[in-house]
Amino acid sequence: MGSSDERVVAVIMVGGPTKGTRFRPLSLNIPKPLFPLAGQPMVHHPISACKRIPNLAQIYLIGFYEEREFALYVSSISNELKVPVRYLREDKPHGSAGGLYNFRDLIMEDNPSHIFLLNCDVCCSFPLPEMLVAHRRYGGIGTILVIKVSPESANEFGELVADPSTNELLHYTEKPETFVSDRINCGVYVFTPDIFTAIQGVSSQRKERANLRRMSSFEALQSATRSLPTDFVRLDQDILSPLAGKKQLYTYETMDFWEQIKTPGMSLKCSALYLAQFRFTSPYLLATGDGTKTAAVIGDVFVHPSAKVHPTAKNLLTLNYAQIGPNVSISANARIGPGVRLISCIVLDDVEVKENAVVIHAIVGWKSSIGRWSRVQGEGDYNAKLGITILGEAVTVEDEVVVVNSIVLPNKTLNVSVQQEIIL
Amino acid sequence: EHFRMKALILVGGFGTRLRPLTLSVPKPLVEFANKPMILHQIEALKAIGVSEVVLAINYQPEVMLNFLKDFETKLGITITCSQETEPLGTAGPLALARDKLIDDSGEPFFVLNSDVISEYPLKQMIEFHKSHGGEASIMVTKVDEPSKYGVVVTEESTGKVERFVEKPKLFVGNKINAGIYLLNPSVLDRIELRPTSIEKEVFPKIAAEKMLFAMVLPGFWMDIGQPKDYITGLRLYLDSLRKNASSKLATGTHVVGNVLVDESAKIGEGCLIGPDVAIGPGCVIESGVRLSRCTVMRGVRIKKHACVSGSIIGWHSTVGQWARVENMTILGEDVHVCDEIYSNGGVVLPHKEIKSSILKPEIQKFQLKLNNKKE
Repeated sequence: MGSSDERVVAVIMVGGPTKGTRFRPLSLNIPKPLFPLAGQPMVHHPISACKRIPNLAQIYLIGFYEEREFALYVSSISNELKVPVRYLREDKPHGSAGGLYNFRDLIMEDNPSHIFLLNCDVCCSFPLPEMLVAHRRYGGIGTILVIKVSPESANEFGELVADPSTNELLHYTEKPETFVSDRINCGVYVFTPDIFTAIQGVSSQRKERANLRRMSSFEALQSATRSLPTDFVRLDQDILSPLAGKKQLYTYETMDFWEQIKTPGMSLKCSALYLAQFRFTSPYLLATGDGTKTAAVIGDVFVHPSAKVHPTAKNLLTLNYAQIGPNVSISANARIGPGVRLISCIVLDDVEVKENAVVIHAIVGWKSSIGRWSRVQGEGDYNAKLGITILGEAVTVEDEVVVVNSIVLPNKTLNVSVQQEIIL
Repeated sequence: EHFRMKALILVGGFGTRLRPLTLSVPKPLVEFANKPMILHQIEALKAIGVSEVVLAINYQPEVMLNFLKDFETKLGITITCSQETEPLGTAGPLALARDKLIDDSGEPFFVLNSDVISEYPLKQMIEFHKSHGGEASIMVTKVDEPSKYGVVVTEESTGKVERFVEKPKLFVGNKINAGIYLLNPSVLDRIELRPTSIEKEVFPKIAAEKMLFAMVLPGFWMDIGQPKDYITGLRLYLDSLRKNASSKLATGTHVVGNVLVDESAKIGEGCLIGPDVAIGPGCVIESGVRLSRCTVMRGVRIKKHACVSGSIIGWHSTVGQWARVENMTILGEDVHVCDEIYSNGGVVLPHKEIKSSILKPEIQKFQLKLNNKKE
């Protein structure tokens, strides 16, 4: 059992502008971790999950973005959740474990007994308190969240083999070519401070080898790590793989949903997953309505309090309120006109959707304008390159224009219909 | 003066280019601008005093005959059918109908192609025919791409036809045969009862004798035998209606451009209709609907917030809420497009339900069923 002295620190890796290029064009305007899913910035979901950890002392966000990009968010979320959140900028790449090690002094300031490490672009239920309980029971230096996936898709991830009775991590391979296991690494971990020793160990080993190489050409024939800087330590290959089978690392399996948010299409899918989760954890966040006094809401829908869903235009009497959902998220100050139909979409801040327009399987960028009777539609294949339609910031779709399975970069005006195109 | 004139309308065959509409109804009875195609021609003939119209058909006379009896009574004109048992081409049917076309009056008779829509300036054609004293007169019309058709080369001052050139590779002229003829009875002596082409066999002979004259058709012309031209033709026709009989066109804040609405159709609030739209009898257009460049046949219901453009919606079909139907979508009879569906150029055979979007033009296959139940 943890005593009240056992403080916990959480670290969320948020990446940087040169990574996650697959998230363009949305990431041209906003750091990916701040892109909203189910009405909240992506990073908000792991952050609020951390809030459920007993004795949480501090949350650190570590990434390569400029400090100013996170300054506002970090101060407002600290106030809102009443837990200190701080953004730390890595000056150069240190690898997924090296980044943690780089800030160890700060992390250890609160003398935490446990450190959670999460990846921001993971979408899941974050069962962090349960992981901590299991971790304490196992008594290792780290516990990894794992999930079972289809054997065909397993090789896109890190595959793990665990002992079915002790849950010890026996084997770990990153993106293997042949089938190893259908359990994969979710990118969510809990460690004891011993992890820093382990990381330092890898770092020292590399230094030694580097020195040796200067002295002997034998080492010149050695491993792929010869080109890595000594302080670049990868969690998967350098820590998890070597420590597997040594009774140091354990696994905790989640039966809930898990996805990686690599592309805008996946952000739409994950937004729906989080909206569905809200129905259980915080149903007051979801919109309701039957179309008589406000929009008709179908399924899980988030509407920001400042968004306006209009009834009638001019002096018409019978035109309906919009019909919204399922899986729709509407951000601040958006305006939705009468007779609009929104299905499976994210409508970002300040968007105007005019009368009778239809948006299905799409992301509509900030300040965009969707014309009367226009149609913005994707096929709904979240993994395909052009599987959903994405409109960048300030895109205008003129009246009656149809946009299908396309990506439109910011500030474009579409006055003719397009299909299966990337509009620069 | 012309009371005893006769006319032959070449109706021809199965109307395959206007499928799926012609799967339900013979082509001459398919409505254009809310009136059966053939009625446009019959009315034009009646207006200048033609007393008897012969329809040269080779298909489904029974269905036609019922309608024709109706027109006969209403218009006070005699309508008979001349049925080919084998295809006779564009001239053979005249020979087949010979007895119906000539009598002792010696008057010339009209021959019209049933797919053609125009202002039918038949009175002017009669005067032209009398003035040149030749054996045959044809209307020609100016087109942008003459090589798609047969070009008629004429002497400019008199209109005397010099020759016909089929699909010329080099430019020889831009006037093509408009499918409206006025022929002296003696022309029938030149036509044998066998498959014959009037353009390739009969007219060239008359032209060689310097007895064939061509008049440039004033006003619009369109061959509406296929959907794309049907839709363009509606625009031309409604343009002409605006000039000559604008009271027939719809007005109102919800109307843009030229729109024809049957008096029994209902249009909801917040709609935007037009330009170039025809809405047939008994149609219900619910609120918030956008229609442009389209034809909505009898009994169709377009549900709320839907948007239809550049398309033809067949009889008794429905288009669901928020559906988008465009780009030469042709719905046959009794087709139901579900809510929120997008059809981009879908061609849908009768009695089908469209439950998933059609992103690219394609024909929705018809599945043979043992009974006639809707799928």
